[in-house]
Amino acid sequence: MAASEITAAAEGFVRISGLGKVFRREEGSVQVLRNVSITVPNRQFISILGASGCGKTTLLMMLAGLESITSGTIEIARQSVTKPRRDVGIIFQDPTLLPWKTALENVLFPIEIFGLPLAEYRPRAQALLELVALGEAMHMRPRQLSGGMRQRVAICRALIHTPAVLLMDEPFSALDAITRDELNLMLIDVWERYHQTAFFVTHSIREAVFLSDRVVVLGGAPGHVVADVTIPFERPRAPTLGETLAFNRICGELRTAIAESTATSRRDHTAAMRAQA
Amino acid sequence: MSDELLVAEIHAASVRREQRSMLARTARKTILPVIAAAIVVVAWEIAVDASGIKPAVLPAPSSVLSATFANRDILIANALPTTLETIAGFILSLSLGGLLGVLLTYFALVRDALYPNVILFQLIPKVAVAPLFMLWLGIGWESRVAMALFIAFFPIVISTVSGLQAADPAILRLCESLAASRWQVFFKVRLPYSLPFLFNGMKISMTLAIIGVIVGEFITSQQGLGYIILFAGSRLETATVMAALLVLCTVGLALYGLVGLVERIVMTKFGH
Repeated sequence: MAASEITAAAEGFVRISGLGKVFRREEGSVQVLRNVSITVPNRQFISILGASGCGKTTLLMMLAGLESITSGTIEIARQSVTKPRRDVGIIFQDPTLLPWKTALENVLFPIEIFGLPLAEYRPRAQALLELVALGEAMHMRPRQLSGGMRQRVAICRALIHTPAVLLMDEPFSALDAITRDELNLMLIDVWERYHQTAFFVTHSIREAVFLSDRVVVLGGAPGHVVADVTIPFERPRAPTLGETLAFNRICGELRTAIAESTATSRRDHTAAMRAQA
Repeated sequence: MSDELLVAEIHAASVRREQRSMLARTARKTILPVIAAAIVVVAWEIAVDASGIKPAVLPAPSSVLSATFANRDILIANALPTTLETIAGFILSLSLGGLLGVLLTYFALVRDALYPNVILFQLIPKVAVAPLFMLWLGIGWESRVAMALFIAFFPIVISTVSGLQAADPAILRLCESLAASRWQVFFKVRLPYSLPFLFNGMKISMTLAIIGVIVGEFITSQQGLGYIILFAGSRLETATVMAALLVLCTVGLALYGLVGLVERIVMTKFGH
């Protein structure tokens, strides 16, 4: 058992070990992450779940190389992450599209920045846009697209250069519930086709369970791993999965884990306040 | 066609409809001022006729027109250097002002050292400095172009600085995540985002460049529409003064329109 765990860890495609993050500000330093270790095998879809302020977005930004590491290490494909890598694709909370470019041109933006031949990637961009049902809208500018359509363009842009790792920072949190469900289905469709290692940061339990192979709960202050749950459902996943008993039982477990971690951190906080007094 | 494409299509149609009603508004906005101006000109003509006021004080519009026609060779010959010197002053302002704007944005040392001075410099009443230029550069075109540059330079600097800071921070973060170089971020993101600011600055700058050249012509008294105005004024040929003003307005309008035209062409590519 122990030996097999060690092998699994060694084979991890993304390895986060002993990760800590302290933000130093003029008012003093705040520790947002403490001793976070997660090993992710290749092609796993993992959700990082937690209440706001638990450091989940910070963790994702560190994976992206956009935020410095205070302690510990992050490795992707055995290389430590210190700056943005070109084999990573990111979907931010907002679509962040260039307003003067068409959907197609926006999808090709990373290719333009990487200095790769645009003509070579155009068929792939078109195929991606068709996959998210934007085939007929590919020559429209962002102003002409709805919020959901824009975020779908952002999904395609994150995948255009066939990244090995896909990072998503609450990508659908700004959308209404119906559009959000729709995009979850679309995302899972796209992911099942391309199958990268995927990190999905969210505060929605149901979204995390529906999309993922595995859900890691971050909690407490500073944030650390409070639960690590494997999601057993087979793929492709049906939209009706959310109505099954097993699905709801896992959601319940995760909800309890989050509730306990926030209660603990509140108690710790109160104790610290008393100690100060 | 899926539902949302239909929605997008309906949206596009409503945008087109909006554009059509905008066309009607634009027509109204061009025709009305022309009618208003025409009424003033006619009233002016009638008032001068009726009151018997001396033409040296206020010539009728008809005599301004005939003065324009009679002096057309001189007016054209002098409009040419005024136009060329304005364009030269404007292009110099655009390149030097743009360059300074970029340096101020990208180099903290330059910004800290120069920006307060630039603002302070801006407070000088620039026309008052004109005699100095004649002293330094003589009575040729150099003085007049320098004057135009001196006046028209600042709006370009200010609009470049604010334009280059107008890029969406989320887009800049995206660029960072793609490991884009500074040059790429400048040309592919910051510059396009700055264009609306830059064109506003260019319109102001073009208007000021004309003022600069005219002031230069007043001081150097060699050639140009400013010189004609000064010379004809001293001989009480008021109709000729106004004829020169008419030509000057036409030149100004054409140059301003040229900037507007370039703006429209560029913004169809880089507009939202």
